[in-house]
Formats: sequence, C-alpha cells, structure tokens
Amino acid sequence: MGEPQKGLLSVIEKLKGSSEQEVRIVLLGLDNAGKTTLLKSLASEDVNTITPTQGFNIKSVASHGMKLNVWDIGGQRKIRPFWKKYLENTDLLIYVIDSADKKRFEETGLELSELIDEENLKGVPVLVFANKQDLATASPASEIAEGLNLHTYRDREWQIQACSAVSGEGVQDGMNWICNNIVNKKK
Amino acid sequence: MFSLMANCCNWLKRWREPARKVTLVMVGLDNAGKTATVRGIQGENPQDVAPTVGFSKVDLKQGKYEVTIFDLGGGKRIRGIWKNYFSESHGVVFVVDSSDIQRIQETRETMAEVLQHPRIAGKPVLVLANKQDQEGALAEADIIENLSLEKLVNENKCLCQIEPCSAVLGYGKKVDKSIKKGLNWLLNNIAKDYEAITERVQKDTAEQRAQEEQDKKERAERVRKLREEREQQERE
Ligand SMILES: Nc1nc2c(ncn2[C@@H]2O[C@H](COP(=O)(O)OP(=O)(O)OP(=O)(O)O)[C@@H](O)[C@H]2O)c(=O)[nH]1
Ligand SMILES: Nc1nc2c(ncn2[C@@H]2O[C@H](COP(=O)(O)OP(=O)(O)OP(=O)(O)O)[C@@H](O)[C@H]2O)c(=O)[nH]1
Ligand SMILES: [Mg+2]
Ligand SMILES: [Mg+2]
Repeated sequence: MGEPQKGLLSVIEKLKGSSEQEVRIVLLGLDNAGKTTLLKSLASEDVNTITPTQGFNIKSVASHGMKLNVWDIGGQRKIRPFWKKYLENTDLLIYVIDSADKKRFEETGLELSELIDEENLKGVPVLVFANKQDLATASPASEIAEGLNLHTYRDREWQIQACSAVSGEGVQDGMNWICNNIVNKKK
Repeated sequence: MFSLMANCCNWLKRWREPARKVTLVMVGLDNAGKTATVRGIQGENPQDVAPTVGFSKVDLKQGKYEVTIFDLGGGKRIRGIWKNYFSESHGVVFVVDSSDIQRIQETRETMAEVLQHPRIAGKPVLVLANKQDQEGALAEADIIENLSLEKLVNENKCLCQIEPCSAVLGYGKKVDKSIKKGLNWLLNNIAKDYEAITERVQKDTAEQRAQEEQDKKERAERVRKLREEREQQERE
C-alpha cells in the first residue's frame, strides 16, 4: 500500500535533492500551441505521437550544467483554471503561441496578461516561443510581440523567440537565452 | 574653519535630498553591444551575451540617482517596440558598433527616427561609439560625420555627447572609463533639467498608460464575445 507512494516520493526527492543548480520552469499556452511537442523536442524525444494534455507532463533537461525542471500543463479552456496551482516558486515562465492561429492572438494575450498579474509570478521573466514558424501562415515574432502587448510588461525581462517545435529550429536559441539570463543570475 | 562648516552644510544638504529616479532607454542596432555595456556597468562579465529579442532592465545606484536602464532588442524585427519605452525615459543611450561600417547608414536612419520621435526630441542623448578595440573602428569624428550627428541633435534640440569606448574592456570597477564618463555626463544633464524632464515624463507616461488600459479593456471585451460565440456554436 505504501509502496507506490514511496516511489513517487523518491522521484520528488531526486528532483529536489541533487546539488546542481535547479531551475523551475512552467510551460503554458493555449491548447494546441505546441507545448508538449516543444518539451519532447527539448528532450530529443519523438514528436509524432502527441495527444492533448489533460493533466501535466514534467521533464528535467540538462543544459549549461544546470537542471531545468520543466512543467508542461494542458492548455484547454477547462484546464486553464488549474494553471495557478503550478506557479509557486517558478523561476521562469515559457509561454507558447501558435503563430499561425491569428484568430486566437487576443485570447492568448489575455490569458498571458492574467498570468502576469499573478502574485506567484511577480517579476518572473517570460520567454515567449512564437511556435509553428514552419507554417506559411505564421506571423513574424515582432507582430506577435505587439499583438500580445508585451511592451506593457515592464516589471520583468521578456524575450520572444521564433521557433518550430517540429523541426527544432529556434528552440536551442531560446534555451540559450534562458541559460544566459536566468541561470547566470541565479548563481 | 568656515569652509569646513560650509562643506559640512553642503554635505548635509546633499544627504537630505531624496534619491532621484532616472530612467534611461538604451537602443541601437542589433550586435552594437548594448547588453554587453549594461552587463559591464552592472559588474557582470560582458562576454557570452545572447541577442536580445525583447526587453530587459537593470537598476543601479549612481550617487544620488536611482537609475533604471531599459535594454531593448535592436534587431530589425523587434525595433518596433522601442517607441513604447520613450515616454518614461529621461534620456537616451544610443550604442553604435563603430567597426560595422557597412551598417553605418542603417544606424544613421535608425538614430534619426529615435531623436525625431516626439517623446524623445529635446531629451539628452549619449552616443557610445562602441567596439573601439576592433581593427578599423571608426573614430569619433568619422562617426559624427557619418551619422550627421550635429545636424540631427540640433534639429531635435537634444543635448548630445559622444564617447568612444569598448564594452568588453572590463567590468565592474574596471569598466571602460569612457562609459562611466558618458553616463555621468548624461545623468548630470538630466539633473540640471530634472523638474522639467520629469514633468514631461509623468505626463507622457500617464497618457500612454491610459491608452494601454483602454486597449486592454477593449481587447478583453472582444475575447469575451468570441468565446461566447464559440460556446454557442458548440452547444448547437
Ligand atoms: N506545423 C507545426 N505543428 C506543430 C508545431 N508544434 C506543434 N505542432 C502540432 O500542433 C498540435 C498540438 O501540439 P501539442 O504539443 O499537443 O500542443 P499543446 O500545447 O501541448 O496542447 P495541449 O496539451 O492541449 O495544451 C500537434 O498536432 C502538433 O504536431 C510546429 O512547430 N509546427
Ligand atoms: N570586440 C568587441 N566586441 C564587443 C564589444 N561590445 C560588444 N561586443 C560583442 O558584440 C556582440 C553583440 O553584443 P550585445 O551586447 O549582445 O549586442 P546588443 O546591442 O545587445 O545586440 P541585440 O541584443 O541583438 O540588440 C557580442 O558578441 C559581444 O561580445 C566591444 O566593445 N568590442
Ligand atoms: Mg500538451
Ligand atoms: Mg542585447
């Protein structure tokens, strides 16, 4: 009876207990934005069999001698109210946008602005991945930055990175930014 | 004895003055060395910087000033965000890659756009002619000429100082003296005109914030309608 619980605990212990620098990252964005695909591509896993996330996925990614614990949470409308529960002790927010889904730019901007107002994310830097740049209908990152009104967020750093989670393009650049800016400062 | 007392009084007066908040916007083309410069001033290693495609800021104390510097991305496709930070800035730091002769015209046009902006014109501008350590870097006089700097600052009534420098020379206490000198010049000139600039900053910022609030409300309303429509469709 106690066994499975112990198993889970030891996993958590492992996540927490190692001596190297750990960074907690939450990965949010509307459903279908490509969060899970991005996470798998970061971990060099197959990105062909991904289904919508009902709960969350978590992966630890090693980069620049750091351990990035990335939490990917489902983005469907009925799940979004649970985002708040994952925000405590977050070092960085990654927000993923489907750059081709123009119809929902305002909606995703609104969700982001609500997150920015959360007490637990106060001052937490934001990396926006303008994903699906491989699609011909994708908007450029600068247009998305304006559409999301990123310039109104003056109390924290932000960066917008064009990328494609399926081809992997731009993903590493985004990770480099994280390591250069966030991780160095934590040291 | 008298002078000693006078000194003491001055010192007391200065000590009592409240700290002055100053915001600076740091712009210039991508790769000019903005982030490296900010890192150096902050006492961090200016090597290994990644391009900025967004916004970052640093707070520092310089004497009685509490200075905030906005370090913005300079790439062509992100430059559009600069204007959003002009209203709250007391002054400008424009960083130039002195060794990038190919892009000096692009630099000139970009600088003209900044200085002409109604929320910048009339504010003091520090030009950092960076990367002087590079072979073939343009000297101060050449940069002034290539940028038509004289004409530009006179037309826009901006006080201006140009400092040749190198952001990678050192950091913290060892940061290039020219950078320090330039920054001091900028802060002193802002100080001379502090009340007027601050009044302008407050007015422009309030206007911009009100506009942003308004836009946000309208957006929220549009999203609400869209969601309602979608839910309606789902029910049918
Ligand atoms: N063309 C293209 N498709 C992508 C890209 N990234 C993700 N997709 C596709 O977009 C769909 C949604 O991807 P997911 O990773 O499941 O999206 P998600 O954000 O995790 O969605 P939820 O779990 O529902 O919140 C899948 O069909 C992906 O193959 C991309 O960069 N380019
Ligand atoms: N040799 C030399 N290299 C420099 C100097 N200043 C910056 N660099 C290098 O120039 C490159 C660009 O520097 P950044 O500070 O990232 O430039 P930036 O202006 O912030 O560029 P964006 O963020 O893209 O707008 C980096 O490789 C720096 O190391 C300098 O004074 N001399
Ligand atoms: Mg998912
Ligand atoms: Mg930069």
